[in-house]
Amino acid sequence: MATLHGWFFDAYPAGKGMRIWLIDQQGRPHALSDGFIPAFYARGPQEELRALCKMLRARRAPVELRRTERRDLFLDQDVEVLEVGVRVPGLLPDLFRQAANAYPHLTYYDADIPLPQRYVLTREIFPLAWCAVEHEAGRIRNIEALDTPWDVEYRLPPLRVMTLRLDGELQDPNRGHRHDLLVEVEGRQYCFKRRHSRQLLLGMRHLLERFDPDLLVSAFGDSYILPRMLELSRHYGIPLPLNRDPQQAVAHKKAHSYVSYGRVMFRNAQHTLFGRWHVDRQNAFLASDYGMDGSLEIARITGLPLQTTARVSTGTGISAMQVATAQRRGILVPWQKRQPETLKSGVDLLVADKGGLVYAPIAGLHEHVAELDFTAMYPSIMVRFNISPETVGADCCPGKLVPELGTRVCTHRYGLVPETLAPLLEKRNRYKTLIRQLPDEDPRKETYKRRHSAHKWLLVTCFGYLGYKNARFGRIEAHEAVTAYGREVLLRAKEMVEARGFRVLHLYVDGLWIYKPGADQQPDYEALLQQIRDHTGLQIGLEGIYRWVAFLPSRVDPRSPVANRYFGAYEDGSLKVRGIEARRHDTSPFIKETQLEMLAILAEGRDASGFRASVPEAIHYARQQLLALRAGRVPARQLVMRQRLARHPHEFTVRTVAARVARELVHAGVTLTPGEKLRFLLVPGPEKARAWELLKGEVPYDREAYTELLLRAVESVLAPVGVDRTMLATWLLGNAGYWGPPGTLPPPGMDGGQPLLAGCRMHRTRWPQPCTERDDLLLRSLYDESPASLDQLPPLAPALLPAPSPLPIQDHASVRP
Amino acid sequence: MGRTLPSITQAFLHEQQSLARFRRALRREDQRALDDLLASSKNHLAAAAYASHLLPFEVMLLAMLVEEHKQVIGLRQQIDQLRAALEELGASAER
Repeated sequence: MATLHGWFFDAYPAGKGMRIWLIDQQGRPHALSDGFIPAFYARGPQEELRALCKMLRARRAPVELRRTERRDLFLDQDVEVLEVGVRVPGLLPDLFRQAANAYPHLTYYDADIPLPQRYVLTREIFPLAWCAVEHEAGRIRNIEALDTPWDVEYRLPPLRVMTLRLDGELQDPNRGHRHDLLVEVEGRQYCFKRRHSRQLLLGMRHLLERFDPDLLVSAFGDSYILPRMLELSRHYGIPLPLNRDPQQAVAHKKAHSYVSYGRVMFRNAQHTLFGRWHVDRQNAFLASDYGMDGSLEIARITGLPLQTTARVSTGTGISAMQVATAQRRGILVPWQKRQPETLKSGVDLLVADKGGLVYAPIAGLHEHVAELDFTAMYPSIMVRFNISPETVGADCCPGKLVPELGTRVCTHRYGLVPETLAPLLEKRNRYKTLIRQLPDEDPRKETYKRRHSAHKWLLVTCFGYLGYKNARFGRIEAHEAVTAYGREVLLRAKEMVEARGFRVLHLYVDGLWIYKPGADQQPDYEALLQQIRDHTGLQIGLEGIYRWVAFLPSRVDPRSPVANRYFGAYEDGSLKVRGIEARRHDTSPFIKETQLEMLAILAEGRDASGFRASVPEAIHYARQQLLALRAGRVPARQLVMRQRLARHPHEFTVRTVAARVARELVHAGVTLTPGEKLRFLLVPGPEKARAWELLKGEVPYDREAYTELLLRAVESVLAPVGVDRTMLATWLLGNAGYWGPPGTLPPPGMDGGQPLLAGCRMHRTRWPQPCTERDDLLLRSLYDESPASLDQLPPLAPALLPAPSPLPIQDHASVRP
Repeated sequence: MGRTLPSITQAFLHEQQSLARFRRALRREDQRALDDLLASSKNHLAAAAYASHLLPFEVMLLAMLVEEHKQVIGLRQQIDQLRAALEELGASAER
């Protein structure tokens, strides 16, 4: 028997067990096999279970059948079930399908957990764990992880990476862009001519054999490069060793569209490998946000293979972690959810069916505003108040009552969801602390930031999954309980803020924007934050103090401010921008750049009057941009717009821009699926817009249309100081102004929109109201208020009784290879 | 999305639409005043949602009153200031 130390790399069913790949310290791959008997469970009437056994035996399925007891999460007790152990793991999905088709009325458990995940759960290891493996004749006798997924600092295997992309500009090859294949490995670049496909194939085979990469990183590999190479390989009859394991064929998943939060989304085809990874940068979920570091982190903590975590949304990760918690506790994982919504009266629904608290902010420009944010509010609420599908509405103990709703939450057992989330929250906090402590030049800082971001996304999706109809551990009552606690907590925070003489400008689910004259330093907020922490039991922090912040009205109705359209500059000069053009996906890079640069100029202003003083400079910059645009000097690439295709190209009834572009692509022979992104340029002439991928060379763009878009973007930025379209047009197109050089604002009390009446003082009724309401009686009484006592507020007692078990943290030094 | 009851914004729009004929028959200047009132009540949708009142229109009326009262207080304050300034002016003129 030999012992091998290495990183756990890949696992999949092969033959009568699982094939396991490890990578040792020198970067050498090792393939081993391991016997593994996964099981699914069935519950129901005795006769049906007996009939199921008979059927499986008659078909000579390689199964081990036995009667046993397991725990059902919602029944909170052990139930008698039939265990079907499958001796050939790869056959489990098939056998289960046969069983479920023949006996659909039985309740099935543990039936559709992906096998790689089941394997790591059973062996108590995880992807990329540093493992000690005892093996004999290619078979694993024992495998043990020497580190834990909760370590914040861990070593990763030295991966050999090969990158694949097409030469030229990064464009979707499925829309007609064709070019030579560029392969990069170990610092060398190889170019394979598109026309010589046989040489391409032979060359690729040679490179794969010679360098034996662990990871293929591609651009459009899922939808084009890999399928094309496989096609060539079939055509020429030349095998291509994309997989390390020659026994396996490349796994393929077709592209599809789905609807999420009212939007049609598109998931491209997938090609995944065995014994080797393939990640397509263009088909990765949030790749730009947390990248490979984040995907590796998610693989480690969720137990999902990296090829999965790099492609699916973080919701799948949360779901997998809940499955893992259940398996560790010996709880059965239901195949189909059977938790329908309980019957509610209309009034109950009226109270319960609400989301987070969202104010209409006080529109206009404000200075020295502080933003307070609850840290990971919804997950923290789930952990602190023990909110889980099986604890909400359970009548096993007196429990605690949810505010507003009065639903009972069990307090005698620790919920599955809180148990899953507690270590996640803690690990995220540890990364946060590390990021704060490390100096900027430390190379680890970026890695930690990306891992932290991956955690953030996991935590964001965990709330949605509580209410998602297909989530295994979802339940709408739990979802409602979370938002009810969220509203209660936010209102309590508001009351405490106001009791200390602050004015609440805006509330947004887990954040508060508050103002008090003179309170513009961090220490002014310490006592307040501590009080909120004490009273709510949740973490809240000062996100920052703004030099100035502007809340914008709706484009449709200028009288109504909207919750999520604002921008501001923090004390350190950094910007926060929400809901305006620069944040929209369909805004072209040029417009985005102009808007952000203007904001950066305005951010030099230290307060509201500084903002006003910087307007002429911002206008000067905007004018330069506009002149370049109107002279046709902006490269077309900077003006490309993006839009998501919301329907099939033939379903359009109105000839919108998207409809025109889709039609053009379809005519060029491109297959389009709803949810795919369209990239196009607005052009003069009757066609109005052209698909970006089909344009050759520099093409003239529609100057008028882009001027209009630019003016809109500039207006959004300057609207808070009363600048409107006429004023802008005078400044930018006419290079003139009524009150001075372009950008000079009208004197206070004068209506900028009516320059001819500039002499008369008039009462403004139009938006924006000038924000000089500091003398307002109502406000003065607010600011002058002495800090009131909040003792009458009953503290929000945590429902949670048992403390969460401490994280299994190992001493890093002892596990270091 | 998956809601059994209309959200407060939908309820607000519904109430607004149900006033369409009332609005139509008003004079133009009165229509503008009505629009202002409705817009002012829209600022308090969050509170209206939290209230979970069975008849959202009642809460809307109250929200309009709140905004109107704020205006009254503000105007009263301006009048006081103007009056004080006038009195001072008169006093100095007498002198």
